[in-house]
Amino acid sequence: MKTDIAKMRNIGISAHIDSGKTTLTERILFYCKKIHKIHEVKGKDGVGATMDSMDLERERGITIASATTNVQWADHSINIIDTPGHVDFTIEVERSLRVLDGAVLVLCSVGGVQSQTITVDRQLKRYRVPRIAFINKLDRTGANPYKVKDQLVEKLGHNAVLMQIPIGLESNLRGIVDLTSMKAYYFDGPDGEIIREEEIPFGLLEEARRKREEMLDSVSMASDELMTAVLEDRATEDLIHKAVRKGTISRELTPVFMGSAYKNKGIQLLLDGVVRYLPDPSDVESTALDLENEGHETKLKADPSAPTVALAFKLEDGPYGQLTYIRIYQGRIQKGSELFNNRSRQRFKVGRLVRMHADSMEDIQEAECGDIVALFGIECASGDTFVTPGLNLTMTSIYVPEPVISLAINPADNASADRMAKALLRFTKEDPTFRSYVDPESNETIIQGMGELHLDVYIERMKREYRAEVLTGKPQVAYREAIVRKVDFDYTHKKQTGGAGQFARVIGSLEPLAKGNYEFVNNVKGGRIPKEFIPACDRGFQTGLKKGQLIGFPVIGIRVTLDDGQSHPVDSSDLAFQTAAQGAFRQAYPKAKPQILEPIMKVSVEGPTEFAGHVFGSINQRRGVIASSIEDGTFSRVDAEVPLAEMFGYSTVLRSLTQGKAEFTMEFLKYGRVPGQVAEFLMAKQQEKRKKGASK
Amino acid sequence: MVNTEIIQRSPIRNLEKSIHGGLGKGNIGVLASRKGVGKTACLVHIATDKLLQKRPVIHVSYASRVDYIITWYEEILKELSKKKGMKAASEFHDDIIKNRVIMNFNQDGAKTEQVLRSLEAMIIHGNFAADTIIVDGFDFVQGTPEDIRKFKEFAARLGLEVWFSASLKGDDPLFDDKGVAFMLHNYLGTIDVLISLRHESGIVRLDLVKAHDLPVSDKLRLRLDPKTLLIAKAGNPPVRE
Repeated sequence: MKTDIAKMRNIGISAHIDSGKTTLTERILFYCKKIHKIHEVKGKDGVGATMDSMDLERERGITIASATTNVQWADHSINIIDTPGHVDFTIEVERSLRVLDGAVLVLCSVGGVQSQTITVDRQLKRYRVPRIAFINKLDRTGANPYKVKDQLVEKLGHNAVLMQIPIGLESNLRGIVDLTSMKAYYFDGPDGEIIREEEIPFGLLEEARRKREEMLDSVSMASDELMTAVLEDRATEDLIHKAVRKGTISRELTPVFMGSAYKNKGIQLLLDGVVRYLPDPSDVESTALDLENEGHETKLKADPSAPTVALAFKLEDGPYGQLTYIRIYQGRIQKGSELFNNRSRQRFKVGRLVRMHADSMEDIQEAECGDIVALFGIECASGDTFVTPGLNLTMTSIYVPEPVISLAINPADNASADRMAKALLRFTKEDPTFRSYVDPESNETIIQGMGELHLDVYIERMKREYRAEVLTGKPQVAYREAIVRKVDFDYTHKKQTGGAGQFARVIGSLEPLAKGNYEFVNNVKGGRIPKEFIPACDRGFQTGLKKGQLIGFPVIGIRVTLDDGQSHPVDSSDLAFQTAAQGAFRQAYPKAKPQILEPIMKVSVEGPTEFAGHVFGSINQRRGVIASSIEDGTFSRVDAEVPLAEMFGYSTVLRSLTQGKAEFTMEFLKYGRVPGQVAEFLMAKQQEKRKKGASK
Repeated sequence: MVNTEIIQRSPIRNLEKSIHGGLGKGNIGVLASRKGVGKTACLVHIATDKLLQKRPVIHVSYASRVDYIITWYEEILKELSKKKGMKAASEFHDDIIKNRVIMNFNQDGAKTEQVLRSLEAMIIHGNFAADTIIVDGFDFVQGTPEDIRKFKEFAARLGLEVWFSASLKGDDPLFDDKGVAFMLHNYLGTIDVLISLRHESGIVRLDLVKAHDLPVSDKLRLRLDPKTLLIAKAGNPPVRE
């Protein structure tokens, strides 16, 4: 089935973990007739919501992997990309955001804007995703959509505009008033599937009129046409829709919808909003890097007849083999056509092309630009670009943060060893922030990731999906080393052992670099070091950087300047200069006042105000620096900077300190200097390790 | 210029001299003016002066967003370093972050008792040895002298000095003939140092109205630089461009 690009929507549903995102998605699928029965999260009926396809997710009641599903609403084709809410799985979110054209930001009408909402919103901002807000759970005790709307303005800086008001709240929630049509809507039938339109109840009319004025005031700022119409008292529904759409796409305003997914209220109106206000793929500008033009950005055309450009944004090991989710940015993909993977430089043929619903699929013959579909049996990694052969474009590389934590793992038995290897291969392909390697010193497999929970989930998945039992070591922080002082070096490498000798001399300096990890400056004049040996010097220094001399972690923030040197017509070689550079680095580094750096995390703790003291105390004990605390009635949030090394097990501590009522999120902020005592401890440990290694 | 020299030459030293050696522990200082005259800038300047001396400060705000307050500090530090040729502002930046905590309260929801409880939790459980509290945005119309008295008791008990800003509302005249804002008459007994900020022929003048029940010896020769929003000595008139 072909869809006009103007009737296509690629949307994400982003939210704080408990705001009812999965329930909302479930209802959307139901009303779009994708599923025939509603299941609840943590399934009371034992089935679980349809979008959570992994057992683990079902058990924890959270969504980890982003499944995508296609639905039809009001003659429009909507691809929903279910984005995970927990910050530990940031890369999954970021990758999903990349392929979205718009998003629904779900908020809890009681909890409002919480720290994860802020994180998710910041990510949406980074990818310039237009959004509409949905205030969920109006049926809950303490529901206050007006407060949440104010928080959208104050805490997130959105120009939030209420498009609706509730009819009744909490257990009295009966329906929704739409401020554009000025009608009341009720949701009848056992699952709220029958929509009844009525006049606004008399008691609410005054309030509705006032809120409509407010709405028109804000919306008309985005459209001169509407402004004039409002002044002349002839603002039609169409004009309002047009203005809201314009304002939403330019991200000047955020229309706010509301309802209760659990009570089946307001979802259909939200879907109307998605179709009306969120952009279609042609409204959004996409760019790719032109490899033939030094990687300059080039605009893509949302034109099905143009050459194909598609991005593989998600791999999944399904029950039917490997699935590759792709977003087509330009051109079309047909079953049986040939595509080229620009990273692996390989051609492949499109075998099966499918449209996905969380756990079921539909075979299709063709898909056009703007669409999100999946391919079967394609050998690739996530983030790869597929193009029509001959085209040399690649989608910009997705921003991948460096892992901050590592853990040694060992298979519990021989059978598990193979399975573990298989699982690791899969996970590292799926998730670029998850890495694994074998430590040559200890011969242990090390996995690296973005946080404790991130690694925990993969270890769980190894057990469940691959039946690989693994033993884990203690989590290890990814330290770095850096220098403080500029030092000069002058090092000669000379070797005469019969046959061809080796000779190289390098003179220059090491100095701290404020921005960036490494810079190599070549100042050698007059061929004192022949040109062909300069890259070898660079390589030699880079080898030295891989392992600092304090605790064996990589050295960052350093500039190496090569000023002078000496060579020998016969004995100088690439190897000689590389060795000389390594020697120079080894000699100069200790004089440059090296120090140990550790990852500092930005930590946000949220919970009832009564526990603020405990939270302050727990951060203080962890060498943390509190930046701010915000109290809003009974609810408080503390933002702090805390070394990652001190954050292990914090979730357990926090739970017991606050009777499970507080929660925290963290993300990498920067590298900071390790205090003297801790540095000494780390160095002593490293020496011990070296001694052990030597005595082996 | 080295740090100590900046501190010594700061106009805040003039202020301290005029109020007989500074605000002092257990005392309440108030900067009063209409909205938008520069109270927050003054408070942040006073706080930054402490922070440059590595003295911890808690900045309590009743209204503004945290990032907005942080921007104030960054701006004031930037202006200070420009003016004084301080080496790199970034050097002090870390010290400032380490010694500053911003606590934000929504006054509708936060009673003075609750604010003080949270402050105490920060100082004691958070082990944050503040000696200055900056309180911006306290509503002197909604609040009562009793609130300020509680702050004062708290300050005395924990050895803190507390600077408030008071936003003056209503029609002119705002001040009586002694320069005390009518709005603050009820509060005068609990306030130790009172400074009024007033627009006068294009500059903002800082007038010392009360100083520890001692006679206000001479005019506080300070003004607010309209360009940098820093407190400046009143001697040289502002440069016009």
